[in-house]
Amino acid sequence: MSESLRHRRAFWGVGLVLVAFGLLALVGAGELLAQDASQIRRYGDFPVIGARGAIWITAQVHLMFAAFVLGVPMFAIVVEAIAIFGGDKRYDKLAKEFTRLLLIAYSATAIWGAMLTFALSSLYPVFWSYLTTIFGPSMWLYAALFIVESFTLYLYYYGWDRWSEGKAKYGHWGLGILLNVWGTIVMFIANGWLTYMMSPPAEVAADTAPDQVQLWSAIFNATWMPINIHRILANVVFGGAIVGMYAAYRFLAAKTDEERAHYDWMGYIGNFIAIGALIVLPFAGYYLGREIYEFNQQMGITMMGGFMSWLWIIQAFLIGVLFLAGNYYLWIGMGRIPGAERFTPYVKYMLVVLVAGVIVWATPHTIIASRDEIAAMGGTHHPFLGALGVMSAKNTAVNLMILTTFLSFMLYRRANKIPVVNWARSGTIAQGAALAIAAVVVTFYGVYGYFVTAIVRIGFSVYQVLAVLAAMLLVVVLDVMMLRGAKSRGEIRWGQMPPRSQYALFVLAVTFTWLMGLMGFARSGIRQHWHVYEVIRDTSAQAATPALGPAATMISVCVLIFLSLVAIIFWLGGLAEKPAHKDPADLVTAVSRGGEV
Amino acid sequence: MNEPRGVRHPFWQAVLLLIGSYLLFKFGISVLPPLIGIESAPVPASVVLQFMATALVGVLLYVSADETRWKQFKEPIHSVAVDADKKVLRTSMLIALPLLVGFLTYRQVSASVGAPPSLRSVHPAPPNRITFRGESMQLAGLENPLRTTGEMSEHLAAGSTVYVRNCMPCHGDRLDGDGHFAQGFNPVPADFTSNGTIAQLTESYVFWRIAKGGPGLPKEGTPWNSAMPAWEDILEENEIWAVILYMYDQTGWSPRTWEEEHEAAEGGDH
Amino acid sequence: MWRTNLAVAFVVLGTLGVYTAVANMIPQVQSDVPEELVLSADVSPEELVAAGENLYAGSGGGCTACHGLGTRAPDILGTAGSTCETREPGKSCKDYLYESLVDPGAYVVEGFQPIMPDMSRTLSDAQIWSLVAFLESQGGEVTVTGADFAGSDDGPPPTPADPVTDGDAAPGDIDAAALVQSLGCTACHAYGASPGGIGPALSEMAGLELDYLRRSIIDPAADTATGFEALAGTMPATFGELLTESELEAMVTYLAGGAE
Repeated sequence: MSESLRHRRAFWGVGLVLVAFGLLALVGAGELLAQDASQIRRYGDFPVIGARGAIWITAQVHLMFAAFVLGVPMFAIVVEAIAIFGGDKRYDKLAKEFTRLLLIAYSATAIWGAMLTFALSSLYPVFWSYLTTIFGPSMWLYAALFIVESFTLYLYYYGWDRWSEGKAKYGHWGLGILLNVWGTIVMFIANGWLTYMMSPPAEVAADTAPDQVQLWSAIFNATWMPINIHRILANVVFGGAIVGMYAAYRFLAAKTDEERAHYDWMGYIGNFIAIGALIVLPFAGYYLGREIYEFNQQMGITMMGGFMSWLWIIQAFLIGVLFLAGNYYLWIGMGRIPGAERFTPYVKYMLVVLVAGVIVWATPHTIIASRDEIAAMGGTHHPFLGALGVMSAKNTAVNLMILTTFLSFMLYRRANKIPVVNWARSGTIAQGAALAIAAVVVTFYGVYGYFVTAIVRIGFSVYQVLAVLAAMLLVVVLDVMMLRGAKSRGEIRWGQMPPRSQYALFVLAVTFTWLMGLMGFARSGIRQHWHVYEVIRDTSAQAATPALGPAATMISVCVLIFLSLVAIIFWLGGLAEKPAHKDPADLVTAVSRGGEV
Repeated sequence: MNEPRGVRHPFWQAVLLLIGSYLLFKFGISVLPPLIGIESAPVPASVVLQFMATALVGVLLYVSADETRWKQFKEPIHSVAVDADKKVLRTSMLIALPLLVGFLTYRQVSASVGAPPSLRSVHPAPPNRITFRGESMQLAGLENPLRTTGEMSEHLAAGSTVYVRNCMPCHGDRLDGDGHFAQGFNPVPADFTSNGTIAQLTESYVFWRIAKGGPGLPKEGTPWNSAMPAWEDILEENEIWAVILYMYDQTGWSPRTWEEEHEAAEGGDH
Repeated sequence: MWRTNLAVAFVVLGTLGVYTAVANMIPQVQSDVPEELVLSADVSPEELVAAGENLYAGSGGGCTACHGLGTRAPDILGTAGSTCETREPGKSCKDYLYESLVDPGAYVVEGFQPIMPDMSRTLSDAQIWSLVAFLESQGGEVTVTGADFAGSDDGPPPTPADPVTDGDAAPGDIDAAALVQSLGCTACHAYGASPGGIGPALSEMAGLELDYLRRSIIDPAADTATGFEALAGTMPATFGELLTESELEAMVTYLAGGAE
């Protein structure tokens, strides 16, 4: 066994031991609860950043790694499937390279998870024992699945070359699917714990003893499913963004043209997956928001209109950056496609739509204004901008942005192809018409929304979404049929990308990571001074929910920690392939040559 | 190569675009909508700054999305920075830029008499339940009881009396927030005819605001600066409900309804 | 290679920096824990005193704006707990302090103006009792327990019936001179026996336009009298909330008439 493997297993071993210790701590805490409650320490203290800060950082960094190790396998199997069913070996190599990053990220996830468990049990002992009393059995299941998942991952990665041909390859792909199934169940269990804190079932009251709470009803609470769906999609985006960042770094550091071509292509795939899933994410977010409103109206209003109202402006801003950076990358990428010149004049119109969309979407409802400005506006409500600050305008803006991004992808796809089917012309017109009709429907309902009551207006957003989804589906189906056997205007010149396109990928990854931190703050912040909303109060000194500024600083710290660790992981990945210059993706070759890694 | 000149040059295009967007945000938004009959008002500096930042990013993306355009865009900047014949321009830039930054910094940090801008939530979050004259009331799901009992015309008449006696001095006889005392307040009293006030709220929310007034605003949105009295000491519960009916009747808005009930009603139709 | 690494670090840190800066530039709104909920019936004296101290020193009570600062109000830190025993014969320390908070005009210390506002307008019963506990701890023994406010409600305090602030009274029925005293105008403005000095004397307002006076009371920052520019912003902006419209009218008429 080589050094590196031993190291990796040692990492793993340490991780598992830490988890086991955490679980022991939980059992111990449960026994403590049986004693007189007034005798025990309710809250611990953490130097410098305080107990809350310690939990914040450990939980957030753990979550980012967890999202990474859940997102990457998802498209590892998609990419592997393309390789199996499409027959392109490049994809297989790509999937394997993704998976190699996964191994190290996995141990980091386990280590941060253990740290989070320690932090919870030592800093919030009483609350922790409350949670373990309710969720004890599910925690054991969680640990067991975690072990099964990690063995599946080992088999998946180390068996890659052994099971690379014929039926064995399908079996290998099945392992990948299994890996995703375990990961998803693990995430669902943990989501049950945290959504319980947000939206405990109605029968749980402040005086309900924790051992009286039914485990299943606690897990299957109002926001559990919405969070599950939202997180699955977000994990795909996140995985894509991080892989894109990895590819961007390797592209910039590449020394040969082949390397540059490979990582340019990898970055494109990462960006494609990230933006593709991002387009669906707002719908999942909308579903989650709706469930929160339905669970507790006050919580909903605190989230959207109360002290967090500006958080959504920042969020709109960040998503605007994601859309702009994603499109920008595609537009620059057209420079390396023969035939794309004919589409470049349209870029400026798409850019205008996107910028206008960002402006409308980020128009604050709660405007920052001095007293004189308020007097000039005739109140805190701007008569014109106020109309842009409501849902009608924002939904319209975001739907048009989604359509524009989709159009960018379509143009990119079409750029170097000449359709040969005889209905190509009418097909293209039909595609254009579908997009135009969707845009008209979106705009119509956006404007009409101002003339109807709120309740009808909320229904309009569904029509807008359906119009956009239907148009996108139709266009894709037509496109696939039309481009069957299409002639090429020339191969894509992979690798011929200016460096600034790669920095766009970095901005994309950083923004998405930060956005994840921000949404995490929003989700747990709306509980305000409650451990479990309206059931268990946070009586610690740090119960107040911080303002956006301190929260943003905290999020930036988490993102920095995460990215630094990811940089180390990338570096390790690069280190592993040093001895084998010929095939950078193939770690096993390096190891089998007895390489000192 | 054929060098684009004047307004066809990417650099000057970018400059023109930025100037154009500034004029649009700073003046266009307040001047243009009234021309087609839509109300507007001067735009606060924070919003102009935010819009301009977005526009700047858009312009930078535009000039750098195409390789040749990006080169042409950088050309004048590069030329000013190194060319021998641009020495005067370069030197004046080197003086003017620090001065500009210094001036902006000075503007930012210099003491002024105005209070710092505050963040005012237009619609503060209501509590789940309130205590009205010693009685606990659940706000969520609460409907105006007068809509289902008694004669509507009587309720409206009662509401009108309540309004004229108590609300009119500030909120005005046209319910547009322009009462006799309105100019004495900053912020001015709420304009019920605008689409941003009662048109977006449930009646229970309006009830809460009338009953609890400025003193009853939640802590999360402080500093509040509202002169609205807490009417629960002065008005009876039914008087408040009546005046709410009157407000919606006069402005023509209909209150926001509770979602679950709407869905239940819809389900009944099918 | 180093160039690339530096550029990447610059892009990453720059992006993070912009987001952090924007979030810090906007006015900060923190969601504080609602204070009145903290005190349950089985609260310990220490917790009460701590809660009271927060109110006393913080913006919740705003006590230190007068007590301990200048000569407008007696300095009660360190002494309140012992002097309260003897101030009113037959009244327990606790009752005396409580009444002084909810009806400040009742026991004005000699040599001081009756400028203190009724604290029950802004604080809940539990908060007032915690203030009492804190004051008792200043040189005395804390006798307040959770039982004193058990059963009291968490909502805003009931406004005590006060004939002066009755909303239905016509401006003519209102005694503006009493308002000047009860609102604490004399803490800053010269009037009768009070020397003033922080704001212009009330008698100097004779003949001013009614609109100007209204604005000056509701929005004091709008205009500043000559000679008082350095003190601009001192006058509280809360009178719009404290006065009824008829009181405001009575006050304005009174001031325009020379405050006599």
